[in-house]
Amino acid sequence: MEVTFNAYRREPGEAEYRRGVYKLDLPEDATIMDGMLKIRDEEDPNFAFRGSCLRGYCGDCMMSINGKNTFACTAKVANFMNRPEIALRPIRMVPVIKDLVFDWDAFMWNKIKVLNPWIEPQESTDGVRTVPDKVMADLRNAMSCYYCGLCDEGCTVLPVDMKFLGPAALTKAYRLAADPRDKNPGEHLKMAQQAEGIWDCVHCYEASEHCPRNIGPTERIVQLRDMAFEKGITNERVARHHTSFAASVKASGWLDEARLAIESEGLTNISGLMKLLPIAARAAIKGKAPIPYLHHKRPGAKRITEIFEKGDERGK
Amino acid sequence: MKYALYTGCVSKGGCPELYPASLMVADRLGIELEELHDVGCTGAGVLPQGLSDPINARTFAKAEAMGMPIMTICSTCQGVMTQANHRLTEDPEYREEINRKYLADEGLEYKGTAEIKHLLWVLFEDIGAEKLQAMVQKPLAGLAVSPFYGCYLRRPPEVMTPPGFEKRATYLDDLIKLMGAEFIDIAGKGKCCGFPVLTANEENSLAMAAKHTGEAKEKGADVMVTPCPLCHLNLDGNQPNAEKQVGKEINLPILHLPQFVGLALGMTPSELGLGKHIVSTKVVNAKVEMLS
Ligand code: SF4
Repeated sequence: MEVTFNAYRREPGEAEYRRGVYKLDLPEDATIMDGMLKIRDEEDPNFAFRGSCLRGYCGDCMMSINGKNTFACTAKVANFMNRPEIALRPIRMVPVIKDLVFDWDAFMWNKIKVLNPWIEPQESTDGVRTVPDKVMADLRNAMSCYYCGLCDEGCTVLPVDMKFLGPAALTKAYRLAADPRDKNPGEHLKMAQQAEGIWDCVHCYEASEHCPRNIGPTERIVQLRDMAFEKGITNERVARHHTSFAASVKASGWLDEARLAIESEGLTNISGLMKLLPIAARAAIKGKAPIPYLHHKRPGAKRITEIFEKGDERGK
Repeated sequence: MKYALYTGCVSKGGCPELYPASLMVADRLGIELEELHDVGCTGAGVLPQGLSDPINARTFAKAEAMGMPIMTICSTCQGVMTQANHRLTEDPEYREEINRKYLADEGLEYKGTAEIKHLLWVLFEDIGAEKLQAMVQKPLAGLAVSPFYGCYLRRPPEVMTPPGFEKRATYLDDLIKLMGAEFIDIAGKGKCCGFPVLTANEENSLAMAAKHTGEAKEKGADVMVTPCPLCHLNLDGNQPNAEKQVGKEINLPILHLPQFVGLALGMTPSELGLGKHIVSTKVVNAKVEMLS
């Protein structure tokens, strides 16, 4: 099978990249990795890319192949023959070190590190700490993350803000926060709530769609947020927003958006409240401004209040 | 075709033009609606599942008792409800627990048979493309339109576009073409509008709004259409702030789904409440006026 690879080539420190074009003769069932190894072995020993397990497990060779982000070691060349040349590029937004080798530390590992990715076990007299089956099954699923980074690759927030911790690191945070053996329960939940943490996630479910292990990184972040809702939200603005949201639904059955906007800013935060004025003014002129606190209860509001009260009791 | 209408909060709050436009369009299409009044907010992904699942189960029980499918006019309501319903139907024990703890007092029980459909799904699955096209009075020729779905209408795919319903992922694209408009595809159509992090990280939120509206504008769209009023709040309501942040004019009007359909059905921009938007819909009004 005759194919042409068009690979991203860039030397360290160089601003410009060039395209390396290689004509290859490969067997029908070859993978992209087979092709890249052939280039390195036979044409250009200087061609740099990562690869470790070579069986779709470690994620080291994640790259963009004809615009699709996947693992070079499991991607069959035959599936990418729809274009005259197969384009190999680093995944979007990553700092490139050389050619297809990018900085995994900046992309993911540093973000996992700031979460103190270990647990400190509680003291126990007999050395045994048991975990209920159901909890362990859930933890085991989160632990099956192999840090391939595909969820970060699919994330909607990272392209606008590389500082966001991202779904891979936050899945790790869930795995730690949900472990009942930890000596300081709540510590990891607090870490997950740091700036650029769980509250910056837009829960768009892109991460889950990208995860090859069915771990549901988005669901893990949502679970962390639910845990925080129950145990205490430590991000001040978010706490105000969520408290106001819940209070509004609890009292009237539905959401009073104007009240939410004001209470999220904080009733004593004058500059924050001033910021809302142009928005409110624009809305008022267009006849679409809801008036805060003048919001009617829906019929059945009492029943919704009761659901909240029962929910509170259950939480205790 | 009769549905229990779940309006959500925003169609009567931050986007009050959406509710009347939905009623008008439904009426014209022969969709009969009985509004659910005595129900609560879905939780919108803000309330924890422990609270929102019982609230949603209560809504489902009521619609079930009415013997009607639920129709929503908001991608977020639709997504949160579909996910809740998935949990409640997959796990009968969980449903029973919620029935017992939360609904029994009121004499309600959710049996797990509710069907929840966004207006967009109703258009294709219950009315059908052919019939819909036959009802178009004013094909929107010359109007360049980009779609914007809202995250929750398409993801997670196992739940929102399950086997047999894969076409849901492109209904909005199909609708734009069906209404005779020019379809302008954008890469960001299925991404997040930024609304969910408006409180936590306004800068990121506005960056996302600017990115998607900017992309549509650059590709030549006159207007964007969305089935999600929360997206509308960010893409339309916050567009002036997003423009300020990125330092460039975008000026892309955003239509709610029923407003867009209404225009093709021959209703006027002012009847459909286009004047209530933050970004002026002048371009749309002018182009629609020229068609007759
Ligand atoms: S959560 Fe899934 S997609 Fe993300 S790094 Fe782990 S295995 Fe990969």
